[in-house]
Amino acid sequence: MQHEVKPEQGGKKHVDALRAKFGAAILEEAWQTPDQVTLTVDLNSLPEVVEEAYYRQGGWLSSVVGNDERSLNGHFAVYYVLSIEEERDPRKNIWLTVKALVPPDKPEFPSVTPRVPAAIWYERDVRDLFGIHPVGHPDPRRLALPDDWPENFHPLRKDAMDYRYRPEPTTEEETFDFIEVEGEGLVEIPLGPLHVTSDEPGHFRLFVDGETVVDADYRLFYCHRGLEKLAENRLDYDQIHFLAERICGICGYHHSIAYTMAVENAIGLEVPPRAQYIRTILLETERLHSHILNLGLACHFIGFDTGFMQLFRVREKSMEMAEILTGARKTYGMNLIGGVRKDILKDERDRVLALMAGVRKEVDEMIDILVNTPNLFHRTQGVGILDRKVARDLSPVGPTIRGSGYRRDTRADHPYCAYDRVPWKLITQEGNDVLARTLVRASEIYEIFSILEKCLSEMPDGPILVEGFTYKPHRWAVGCVEAPRGEDIHWLMTDNNQKVYRWRPRASSYNNWPPIRYMLRGNVISNAPLIVASIDPCYSCTERVTVIDVRKKKAKTIPYQELERYCREQKDSPLKS
Amino acid sequence: MIKLLKKVLQVGEATLKYPFAPAEVAPGFRGKPVYNFEQCISCGACTLACPANAITLSCDLERGIRTWQLFYGRCIFCGRCEEVCPTEAITLSPEFELAAFKKEDLVCRADFRLNKCRFCDRFFTPAKELEYVLAVMVQAGLPEPEVANRRALLEVCPECRRKVEVEKMKKAVFTPLE
Repeated sequence: MQHEVKPEQGGKKHVDALRAKFGAAILEEAWQTPDQVTLTVDLNSLPEVVEEAYYRQGGWLSSVVGNDERSLNGHFAVYYVLSIEEERDPRKNIWLTVKALVPPDKPEFPSVTPRVPAAIWYERDVRDLFGIHPVGHPDPRRLALPDDWPENFHPLRKDAMDYRYRPEPTTEEETFDFIEVEGEGLVEIPLGPLHVTSDEPGHFRLFVDGETVVDADYRLFYCHRGLEKLAENRLDYDQIHFLAERICGICGYHHSIAYTMAVENAIGLEVPPRAQYIRTILLETERLHSHILNLGLACHFIGFDTGFMQLFRVREKSMEMAEILTGARKTYGMNLIGGVRKDILKDERDRVLALMAGVRKEVDEMIDILVNTPNLFHRTQGVGILDRKVARDLSPVGPTIRGSGYRRDTRADHPYCAYDRVPWKLITQEGNDVLARTLVRASEIYEIFSILEKCLSEMPDGPILVEGFTYKPHRWAVGCVEAPRGEDIHWLMTDNNQKVYRWRPRASSYNNWPPIRYMLRGNVISNAPLIVASIDPCYSCTERVTVIDVRKKKAKTIPYQELERYCREQKDSPLKS
Repeated sequence: MIKLLKKVLQVGEATLKYPFAPAEVAPGFRGKPVYNFEQCISCGACTLACPANAITLSCDLERGIRTWQLFYGRCIFCGRCEEVCPTEAITLSPEFELAAFKKEDLVCRADFRLNKCRFCDRFFTPAKELEYVLAVMVQAGLPEPEVANRRALLEVCPECRRKVEVEKMKKAVFTPLE
């Protein structure tokens, strides 16, 4: 089904090692691009192969995709997409996808989660949307589907429903089964369903002993929008960019690029160099406003509101840069398959460079003021520790993992656009805490400036868009970019009639949520908002907080504003009254 | 602290006076799409490109009218319509204030007269698009009789055209040779 692709030597090595170990269990080997390979394995060997690639070949779990391929080969399929970064050399790193076919009369597959914990969310996701059951998965609860969705009705199966259909709710009540932690003096605090920093819904439940968090549980996916079904059914290739860009209000352009690259990889399309530079410039412009925003929020949470205001004022200039380059502050809408829609003219370039010099000076002053604020270190050092072992097991991405000392950055590991042609430094910090993550972002801002300067001044001439190519059906590939919060990965399979067969976007926060539980443990309750904000999550704050005192069997609701105030002021605990 | 205080005093007030003073936008800003009926031939290229289905076409074959409609409530200001339009009938303006009291005020609508097929006498194609296509042929230097031929062909609906062709073929196949 796939076209002839010559694998890179470095990548071939990993496949050979797996073949040597598993032999006949590996049924098929297909290369999508020189650094993307899919191995079809025997269903029962799936967990062992993924475990081997993950722990012994330097793999990280980037995505898991379910697919209804009954009309193609009579089976369901699951794809485990791993980024193999053993040697940390972009010429030797590969995308290794482990695929297994699941028979439709017995839609079950052995769960990988007991061996590779990073798959915990993905397998729940596949179970909800396709009705393929991961046998042996430790968490039987729903992930993506709402509580009032009917049983045994799986929206992403091709024969399940029209994309506009919404089944009758089956229940009025929230039936989600939060974990229960019991013990002397434990108090349960639901945090949610709305969080004020990002104005998106998520429901947290914190278990506290006195003021210390002992465990946490959460329910997200309140705004699952059915983008995948919509894209498969209604949109054509050049329309999905605009939908992908609306996955996230902050790093939307990164999603748009990830989608575009997935299509280009699948059909083997080469993008002109000038278009690649322009894409890099826009990606970095987006990272600039996002990182300044997060630094601003960090100031806000430690009670340094003047810094927050000043940084947001500076951020406005980066929005202006985007407006000059694309015609819009956000949702740039600049991509098409094969290139970009708009060139960057000399006049625009000069204005952006001038603006950027101003931003640089101001950010410099603000970071200087920030790191000289004693409160910063006092509030963030040693807080929200992301243990290196937990990080290794759960595959978090972006500044979250770079703050725990791992050198993981898609721009360096799997270079795309112009990132292998301009010099920049990969930033890591060893602290594992909120401070480390904040400092990673602060240092990355300087790298953004140097990438932008280099790209803007050294853009090669030439066309910005290729046209006249044809799409080929039922090819798949991965498109991956490093968004401000970490890697955004889109897996895609093409179809006939300008449509995609399956499109599975995965935002960076998806991989950063599972470790939050471990990061919260052992911290004081007043630091909870700070820790959640430190992964720069793509959801929003929590509007109200309910406290349940297990000893008194009494529930109490505290408004979120109260908890945030407590986080900022560190006095008058709302738990005491 | 002194540094910060100095900074704050030096910056002063950053808030814009908008809406009490106009807000400037960048030259290439993508705002409200403006429609020019004179230029439009109702070819429907924009309706195919529009990712948000903000632009739609519908036909009333009884009355012989094709309706083009743009609903600003769905528009995402991507400018794909402007990019694919062959006659520059739609362009994005710098205007961004689109709030309205009634939903109907967010709709821009245009009706086009349809031509009837010369054979079956049923409505099938917009007159304006047909004239545009023929004008392009004249512009391209096609000789007068040839243009007239094409006109005769284009004034027949696809269904009748198929029937006519079948008849022709039948004649050609079943005419006995000498």
